[in-house]
Order: sequence, then C-alpha cells, then structure tokens
Amino acid sequence: MIAGLDPSSIQGNVLRGYRSNLRLVRHLMLEVTDLGAARRFLATAATGGSAEVQAITTDEPWTEKQHLCFNVAITFAGLRALGVPASSLASFPLEYAEGMTARAGLLSDTGASAPANWPAPFDQPDRIHVIASIYASEDSDSDGSSLLDAVQRQVGQAFNVLGVRDGAGFPEGKVHFGYVDSISQPRFRPRKDGTGVEPIDPLGTVLLGYPTRLEGLIFRVPEPWQLGFNGTFNAFRVLAQDVVGFEEYLDRAATDLIERLPDEKICALLAPEDAKRIMDVLLGPAERRQEPPRDDRFLALREIVAAQMCGRWRNGDPLASCPDVPDPSKSLTEFDYGASSTCPAGSHLRRVNPRGGPMVQRIANYTRRLVRRGMPYGPPYDPVRPDKIERGLLGNFIGANLAAQFEAIMCDWLNLGLQDPEITRSNDPLLGANEPETSWFDLRLKDGSKLRIRGFPRFVITRGGAYTFIPSMEAIRYLAALNR
Amino acid sequence: MPDKPGILDRFVDTLPERWLFKWVSNHVLVPYWARREPKVPLPGGPRPALQPSENLQRMMNLVMPLSDTSPIGRARAAFAIAQNVEEIFAGLDNVGTVHFARFVLIEDNICMISVYDGDFSNYIRDFIATVGSVFDDVMKLVDGGKAMIPTAHNVEAFIEWVRAHDLFQAPDFPTDLFALQDAANGVAPDSPPHPLQSLPRALILQMRVNPNLSLGGGYRAYPGVSAAQVRGEFGVGW
Repeated sequence: MIAGLDPSSIQGNVLRGYRSNLRLVRHLMLEVTDLGAARRFLATAATGGSAEVQAITTDEPWTEKQHLCFNVAITFAGLRALGVPASSLASFPLEYAEGMTARAGLLSDTGASAPANWPAPFDQPDRIHVIASIYASEDSDSDGSSLLDAVQRQVGQAFNVLGVRDGAGFPEGKVHFGYVDSISQPRFRPRKDGTGVEPIDPLGTVLLGYPTRLEGLIFRVPEPWQLGFNGTFNAFRVLAQDVVGFEEYLDRAATDLIERLPDEKICALLAPEDAKRIMDVLLGPAERRQEPPRDDRFLALREIVAAQMCGRWRNGDPLASCPDVPDPSKSLTEFDYGASSTCPAGSHLRRVNPRGGPMVQRIANYTRRLVRRGMPYGPPYDPVRPDKIERGLLGNFIGANLAAQFEAIMCDWLNLGLQDPEITRSNDPLLGANEPETSWFDLRLKDGSKLRIRGFPRFVITRGGAYTFIPSMEAIRYLAALNR
Repeated sequence: MPDKPGILDRFVDTLPERWLFKWVSNHVLVPYWARREPKVPLPGGPRPALQPSENLQRMMNLVMPLSDTSPIGRARAAFAIAQNVEEIFAGLDNVGTVHFARFVLIEDNICMISVYDGDFSNYIRDFIATVGSVFDDVMKLVDGGKAMIPTAHNVEAFIEWVRAHDLFQAPDFPTDLFALQDAANGVAPDSPPHPLQSLPRALILQMRVNPNLSLGGGYRAYPGVSAAQVRGEFGVGW
C-alpha cells in the first residue's frame, strides 16, 4: 500500500506487473463505432463487470491467485471518439495529442521502422481508439487462450476489433535475444528489509497529480480532475527483433576479435581461465554436453560482446558487479555506476537508466524512469529449424509524461548518447537506429581502456504502436457517463 | 530558343522592378494567393534529424514580446536579466547540454539566443526544473507570460509557448519547405507534386504567417561536437 493512494482507484497494470503469474497477453486495437455500446461496456467494466463484460483489474491486493486480468488504455483519437469535450482535450499534452506516428522523427522510427511501413491496424492510427489488454494464465481450469478468446468476444460486442497482437512469456523471464528482461523497475515503496541503492521513486513518476523527481516541477493533470488525476501515459510499441541478425553479429564480432587481436589484447577482454566459467554459468551442464565439443573461447567472446552491449549478461547478472564472469549470487538490482564502472557507458542498460552515474544533464539522474511491461511475441527462434516468422516484444512504457520520460530517453540517451561525451553520436547497440556503415560501440577492456567495434545493423524494428492514456477507474466511469 | 531575348522577354524581366507591378503583387496577387492557398504558421526551432551530428549544436532564437515596450518597460527587462543572470547561468550549467545562451533586446522583444544539444523540450524542461522560479521574473514582463507563472507548474504549456515563439527555421534545402507546409496542413508530402516554379510563391506566402524566421540552421565552426565533449576536451569537467 502507498500512503494516500486508494488501490481500487487505479488500473492494476501501472504499479504491478502480471508476468510472473499470467504468461499470456492479448492486446486488442479497438475502434469506437457504436458510442452507446462502448460507453455501456466501459461503465460495466469499471464497476466490477458482469457475465457479459470482463471487469477491469485494479491495483487492489490479490487474495487469491489470478487467472485473468483486463485493462484498457485510450488514444487521443479515442478520447475524442468517446465524446470528451474540446476544452478537456486541449488540456492533454501535445505529444499524446499528436500521437506516436507524428513523433516518428524524435523516436528514430525511420527507414524500415517508419510508420508508413507499419502493418494494419497501425497503418490507420486515427482509427485506433482504445487498446484493451487481456492477460491470462495457463494453469486455470480452462486453458489460457480460451480465456483470451472469451474476453475478446465480449469486447467485440461493444467495439470494432481492428487488430490483435498476442504475446506469451518465455521461461525464466527471458526475451528474444536471450536476455532475462524487466529486472529493474521504479519502486514506489521501500523494501521491507530496507535495502535498495536506487532511491524510492516519487509517485508522480508514474501517476498524474503527485510530486515528481524534479523538485518543484509538476506535470499538468488533464482536465477535468476526475479524468486526469491518477491517470498515466503509455507508449505501446510493437518491436520486431532480428534474432538471426543479432546472433550472426555476435559470431562475426567474436571471429573478428580472435582474428585481429593479439592474444594479450584478448586477455584484456577475456582471461583464458574465464571462458569455461562464463559458459558454465550461462549454459548450465545440460547444454554443455553437446557434440562436437564447442570452442569456449569463441562462445565466451560472443557472450562478452552481448553482455557489454546490454550491460547485463544474458542470465541477467549486471556487468557493473560481475565484470568478468556472471555470478548468480550477486544482486540483480543492487549496483550503481561510478566514473570507472565496469559497465560500458554505451550499454543499453546505462543508456535507459543511468542510475546515479555521471551525467552531462546533471539534474537528470532518476528523472526519466519508466515502468516497463513487456511480453515477447512470436515463437522462440530455433537455430536448428530456421524460419522467417516475425518475433519481438510487445512493450508498454509507462510514465506520467511521455515527453519527459519515454521520448527524452529515446532521443537524447538511446539514439544520441548525449549523457556522456564518450558515447555522444552513437546509438544504443541493441535498440538504436543503427546502420552498419556508421554504427560503433566501445567495449571495455579490463584495464579500463576501450576497444571499438563497428558494423552492426539495426536489430530492433518498430512495427506499430500508439501513445495511450491509462485512465484511473474513476476516469473510466467519467468517460462512460459522458453525455452525447 | 532565340539567341537574343525579344522585346517582350526583356520587358517581362524588368517587371519585378516596376512600381505598378510591385503594387499589384503586394496588394492583389499575394492576398489572392494567400486566400487560395492558406498557410499555417510553421513551428519554431530545429527539426529532428536522422544524422546524430545534426542533433548537436541546435539553434534557438526565442523572441519574447515585452508587455511594456516603453523605455521603462525595456529597462525593467534589462534589470530582470541583470538581477538573475548568475542563477540563470548556473541553471544552464546544470542543464549540461547548452553551448551558449545570451539575452538581447531587439525592438519590442526580449530574445534568448542559444545553441544547445539534443531535444529542445528536454532543454527547456530541465532549465525550468532548475531555475524556473528565477526565470519567472523574466516571464512576468513578457506578453502572455503571467498565465504561465509559476513555469514549473506549467511546464508543458511553457514548452509549447517557447516552441511557438522560437523562430521558424527555414530549411537548408529550399525545396524542403514544401514538405513542411504539407505536414503542417496534415496532407501527404508531394501529393500532388509541387512544381518547382511555385517555390517563391510558397516562401512568400509562408513569410506572411512567419514574418520573422531563421535562415537555415546556421554556421558551426566545429560541427557534430557536443558541449560536454568540448568541456571534456578542455579538461573543465562535464
């Protein structure tokens, strides 16, 4: 419980993730075609639901294991379609009103990622009014996907379903590219044992109407208060991941390192005795018995490149505290970056959350935190049976101010590297809008010096998305009760 | 084509200098076209660029109209800057991405001319987060400024206000103007295609709604270098 916040007043997916319980997700992109039906649906869904309408999940504590959760988010076009008056619409922030496609330049959604290349329903952003998300577990009496189907049928009675995106969690919280993901999240209440190197985030990071990390700065709460208060904004992203391209690049990088570097330089990246230890931790004994015997030095160099690009080893262990060999006994979250951190400044992790590390924007530490709720889509890639199926991440990036958090991270940190002069003009190695001709990333050697690698392509392509507003429960009831 | 221009050609060439033609252009032709092809004011400041180096050293030409344009009002503005200049500079230091900034009074406006790295809204937001209460003293004297005080509580509105009062930057490639006008009108770029000879008309009509503008992105002595990189290189700490 957070002092001053009634958990029944906000939607459940803001402060709490469902992935540990509910492995399946279905996002429905909806158009309001029958205003009365849409309002009736929202009214019932926000007041406990009925046999025909799934109740919206709030933040109230769970007393029993949940098998189904349901949340809704609304685009700017959706607010208009639901009849929100112009004076109220004008109080919403510009970036939300313009929508994700209008911000493509700022987000580096260019080239293959450009909105012009997005498939339906994201090719018609003005028609996407509501994004409803259904989360289901597989261990209930009925199987998970029939739960998803049942709720989709209910929603389809009230809205025009323009498109559907299904996601499903992988074991151990891994995502495509093989990393354990969604480890570090903003925290709004202290841990019971009092640990935590990161400060507690003020509620205004993720809910409208509360103080923010930036002292004295308050984000505007859209009017009327009933609609804006306790709401938040979300960047929903469909991010296709090029697993083959990524693994091929790791092969190439490791081969290049072995061919081009003298042995003593390789030792500055990988001590000879560490190769086996790294692979023992990352693969585990079962996968280690493969025939023919594998070259641990090659495999470990691949993993070092992957770990330095991300900032974590693929099992999640942070490079900041496990620079040489992943060590599952170390905390996944208790670390910080100093001036001589063993985690490269250009790594994905330090770009998206620089923690307390040195920063060009001196007041920006911890000011751009996002709540991330992601789920992989598409089957895990199996190198034995190569395919061309699209796979990636259905990401929700939640924060009280899209411009100050999501967009600020995307343009200044992820794709420009403004926060540290050593990485300025380089893009995030995993997520950035890279071109093989210009991309570069500095590996960190054990003596603190750098080794620049180049030539990696863009591994993540945007395939759709929308800026949405996640209204409070009160706000959903307000929307449902608007006069025609 | 004939080798030598004929009499009619020579006459047409002299038209732009003839008073009657000038008068007709200004009083008839331009208003007629402005009605036929209305233009919306284009937003100020630099546009996001694909090239990372283009997103460094971006120009801000913020023109803030004074509410009191008398010599006394102008002196008040000069005092407001002078009294707060230390804090304002300290704030710019904390933003970390600013190369330089200066305040000038030009006619009825107080202008902030500045070069910064990265996204404009982060610059303004971080600036207001650090010295908003001080900058409020300046905003008090600006036409429409009082409605945004305290700026730290109206940061979204303030950022939009700054964008509207930052000069529109004419594109470095003149024909890019068509795409910007199309985008502002919410239509697909170049459909139908714009004939090249209509570019002067497009520019003249745009100047009716954006009377002040920055001509291109400006000169950079050391392009593609951030403020922090310069400071780091000179060992003054970033």
